[in-house]
Amino acid sequence: MAGWFSRRQFLINAGLAGLALKSPSLFANTSGTPSLSPIMRQIPGANESIPAIGMGTWITFNVGGDEQLVAQRTRVLKTFFDLGGTVVDGSPMYGTAADVIGEALDSLDAHDRIFAATKIWTGDESETRQEAARSGRRWGLDQFDLLQVHNLLGWQGHLETLKQMKANGEVRYIGITTSHGRRHREFAQIMEREPLDFVQLTYNVLDREVENRLLPLAQERGIGVIVNRPFQGGSLFRRFQSEPLPGWAGEAGISNWAEFFLKFIISHPAVTCAIPATSKVEHMKENMGALYGALPDADQRQRMADYVRSL
Amino acid sequence: MSGADWLSYSLQDFVMFGPQVFLRLFVRINQDLWPWQVLAVVAAIGIPVLLFRQGRNARCFAVGLMVVAWVASGYGFLVGYFGPINWPAAWFGWAFVAQGGLLATAMLFGGVHGGALSSGRFVAPWLIVVCGLPWLAVAESGQWQALALFGIAPGTTAAAGALIVAVITGPWRWLYLPLLVLWSLFSAAMFWVLQTSWLLVTPVATLLLVGAGFWLSPRPARSLD
Ligand SMILES: NC(=O)c1ccc[n+]([C@@H]2O[C@H](COP(=O)([O-])OP(=O)(O)OC[C@H]3O[C@@H](n4cnc5c(N)ncnc54)[C@H](OP(=O)(O)O)[C@@H]3O)[C@@H](O)[C@H]2O)c1
Repeated sequence: MAGWFSRRQFLINAGLAGLALKSPSLFANTSGTPSLSPIMRQIPGANESIPAIGMGTWITFNVGGDEQLVAQRTRVLKTFFDLGGTVVDGSPMYGTAADVIGEALDSLDAHDRIFAATKIWTGDESETRQEAARSGRRWGLDQFDLLQVHNLLGWQGHLETLKQMKANGEVRYIGITTSHGRRHREFAQIMEREPLDFVQLTYNVLDREVENRLLPLAQERGIGVIVNRPFQGGSLFRRFQSEPLPGWAGEAGISNWAEFFLKFIISHPAVTCAIPATSKVEHMKENMGALYGALPDADQRQRMADYVRSL
Repeated sequence: MSGADWLSYSLQDFVMFGPQVFLRLFVRINQDLWPWQVLAVVAAIGIPVLLFRQGRNARCFAVGLMVVAWVASGYGFLVGYFGPINWPAAWFGWAFVAQGGLLATAMLFGGVHGGALSSGRFVAPWLIVVCGLPWLAVAESGQWQALALFGIAPGTTAAAGALIVAVITGPWRWLYLPLLVLWSLFSAAMFWVLQTSWLLVTPVATLLLVGAGFWLSPRPARSLD
């Protein structure tokens, strides 16, 4: 992604300026001054930062050969980039999502604006390179920024190859994923032993088990954390969206429920990035609002969790 | 994967597309086929007409149209349109093609009888299926272009295909049955997760129509040969 920053920054600022005109409060920090810089997080052990809000593609980008929907998802991705996003997460498991990202990147001419993260998802542990290459062709990329072993499937073999690929410069970062709280014990053992750059796991205001072991372990071992299912697959909205935000939400830099859920996550000191998925431009704008402004402090985080529990 | 891991999965985790994308499949296939779906409508109306004409050829022709409907909806809709966003749909697509092959084989080897059917009891549910069920996708999507026509949409085709049990004899019926049941369960689970409640009517109707097909079948059955 070298050499792209000024162009990217220009595009981001242009997008933000439009959004700020429409909704100035979105970009006001607690002191009331407008803040146009996205919340960035350093990748542990690397001299690189990424925006704390990324984008997932499970279900939302699996639209097949439907040209109308591909064009619509391209607008979602454009909004994401325009508002400062870079990290896009996919997997060969997500049907046609990889092809749709590839088409969208082509039509946006945005191959240099993405931090591309995909997964290795095959039980055949000798297929790591081939699967990465297949995904690369589908995304239209020569190489990925991050390759992760999906749900620990065949992780021993894949991780060995991924380590070699990283050493050869075929990929920049490597990691493993889990979700829904599955296989956390084994996950922790791998985190303790293996030289991982990233782990991906489920964390949100209701699913907080990872606070006990995996998040502290990631901090201790210097591993970046990508958070999947930040909205519990959308069910957090179904449960809470009809409820009012707490009166003190503004003090914590929160102006809607999307920001509430996402800022709760990215304000955890171990978290590098959350990757909400959406099929809608309006939702993308809401979600990217969490990339700006103040973040809740530890006390406010506790109040957020208590508030949601009280509803 | 351990048992506890499997328990942590819900039906939701296996449906990898949203309702909007699914309903657009009907719109897209109709747009792409236009105006050839007229042939599907003619076949849907033609099958009961042929079934009640005297003679082996007419019945064979009717069953032949049903064979084409299985193959076309399986290969066209399921393999061609639905498969890319949902792998099990492609497998079902090939199973629909095989179901067409099975029906054709049954027809050639004495598995389709020539006995009289009660026309009213057959024609009424048939017309409800081919004229009524297509509108459920329209109700769900709010777009009339989403009409789920017999011979194109797998749900309507399977529901109509269930009634065809009435003309199949002996063991052939039992070979013909599993796909109807599996498809109904699969599509019901999918519509449940997608919360497309109108569409749930189709798999439920299919299962009821299997029963109707058995009930309508004349006994003792007389082979076409
Ligand atoms: N094991 C793994 O590696 C693993 C497992 C699970 C997930 N993941 C990754 O993590 C990503 C995120 O998880 P997820 O997609 O399961 O769930 P999620 O991001 O928690 O929720 C997505 C749902 O939230 C809705 N949504 C998004 N923004 C919204 C807003 N502002 N207002 C209202 N609704 C909103 C979306 O609907 P709309 O489309 O209507 O906006 C969608 O239905 C995935 O896409 C995938 O990339 C990885």
